[in-house]
Amino acid sequence: MRKMIGGFLAGGTLTALLLASALHAQELKLGKYNVQMHGFGTQGFVHTDGNNWLTMNTNGVGSGAFTDAGLNLGTQINDRLRIGAQVYDRKLGGLGDWHPSLDWAMVDFRVKPWLGFRGCKVKTVLGLYNDQQDLDFFNTYALLPQSVYPIDLREVMIAHEGGDIYGSIRLRKKLGSVNYTAYGGRRDDHMYGGYPYLVSHFMAGGSGGIKLTSEGGPVYGGDLRWKAPLRGLLVGASRINEMITASGTMNMGGVVVPYTEWSKHEWQNQFYGQFAANRWHAESEYRRYLRDTMTMGGTMEVINDVRGWYVAGGYRVMSRLEAGAYYSHYFDNTPSMNAPGSPAAAAQAVYEYDKVVTGKFDVNRFISIKVEGHFIDGAGNGPYPCGFYGAQNPNGFQPNTNALVVRTSYSF
Amino acid sequence: MKHLRWILIVAALMFCAAWQARAGGVKVIANPSVKADSISAGDLRSVFLEDADTFSGSHVEPVLARSGPAHEAFLKDYLGKNDSALQAFYRSLVFTGKASMPKMLASDADMVAYVARTKGAIGYVSSSASTDGVKTLEVK
Repeated sequence: MRKMIGGFLAGGTLTALLLASALHAQELKLGKYNVQMHGFGTQGFVHTDGNNWLTMNTNGVGSGAFTDAGLNLGTQINDRLRIGAQVYDRKLGGLGDWHPSLDWAMVDFRVKPWLGFRGCKVKTVLGLYNDQQDLDFFNTYALLPQSVYPIDLREVMIAHEGGDIYGSIRLRKKLGSVNYTAYGGRRDDHMYGGYPYLVSHFMAGGSGGIKLTSEGGPVYGGDLRWKAPLRGLLVGASRINEMITASGTMNMGGVVVPYTEWSKHEWQNQFYGQFAANRWHAESEYRRYLRDTMTMGGTMEVINDVRGWYVAGGYRVMSRLEAGAYYSHYFDNTPSMNAPGSPAAAAQAVYEYDKVVTGKFDVNRFISIKVEGHFIDGAGNGPYPCGFYGAQNPNGFQPNTNALVVRTSYSF
Repeated sequence: MKHLRWILIVAALMFCAAWQARAGGVKVIANPSVKADSISAGDLRSVFLEDADTFSGSHVEPVLARSGPAHEAFLKDYLGKNDSALQAFYRSLVFTGKASMPKMLASDADMVAYVARTKGAIGYVSSSASTDGVKTLEVK
């Protein structure tokens, strides 16, 4: 039944997208309010050699199980108050699986340029692109650097239920401006994301796996970014703290037992800079993500200390053609699993170094096509997802993977 | 030597004329409810890039042209973005819930008419356009 409803909603979203685009119905009149409707959709194709990637069977012919779409409605109630909501749905190999979610829904009250409030379900501001990672038309790349924005873990940080305080402050003496966001609330993870998928295949070689039914908890954090007087230069830093609890069941050789896990420590720091001038843009980010979690009802401690960074750049060759490249560096320093009080298991570093070249062609204001090559050294196989999954690579991982990604997007 | 001096004077005059033509390519206009008579380039950029929704103590609404030389000149001179980058920027705000899409108008006449009847509206037109019913803001 739930699948039927999900399928119906997914179909509805896509139909609404197509209908809206066909009619160009971007503004509706509801009483005295003008309601704007906007949507986007993407379709991707991935071919690899080496390993299957992102829960798709990408080796051989490749996979087109790489689709997403979003649709939103919003209106300005008065000078200070705005409301809106967006539905999002996706299919990425075994993830998403056409189970739509409320991406964001919020009331935004802006008192002054330097003081505003957003509440309900709000996109989380974290680094340059966290809240914009679904917006394919906005980014130069078909896949953002996976060391900082892993697409299989998109649901984990994308939004929180709670509130933001935000604002923009012009600095004196022409020192530019500062934008700040502080937030607090709760995150509730989608059960069709990368982590539930990974643990569902844990010990799957005959004895079953872990089926999570809930995962989430309190989060709080902030972001501070400085727009320098030099036009196009932006630098900033973000921080998020989390206290996550997950529960479900674990199948141990046919015996199903309750399963729980909880955070001991979980936080993320991100530092970033961007410069855009004329046809050029360049950006770089560094992320450290520490996840210290008690699993298996507190009998096993899992620690991931992830350091990810990238350097990227793009150049608009012609008005409709942009070329770009990046290097993305993912290193999980201490993926260890051990019983509390016992010596830690020998740490085995997990790494992925991805060299990427891309070309983006804007057909018009609404449609773009990207072709991208990835040359990946390493294949993560730790207790936390990082793109490559044992379920699609049952015979073990190859050390290198080359990938061709083609992605087209439409937005209105 | 004498010729060189005349050449330099003529070149300087041509440069000044070209600069005047460039700066005079676009006029920034506002609804009469906007109190100020001038706006700094930084404030103008803040208003059009949605960093600020107030100016000179009152709420303002940026209004865009769909295309045309005035639109291109305004983007280049004051926002430092081309049209596709600006559209992508606005849509990124819309899809993250941070702003609504600004009104976009097809001609100078439509722009002047909309700005004249909309409290707080700020837009731009080509320097030759009639600006009856709106005020022209000097950009400092």
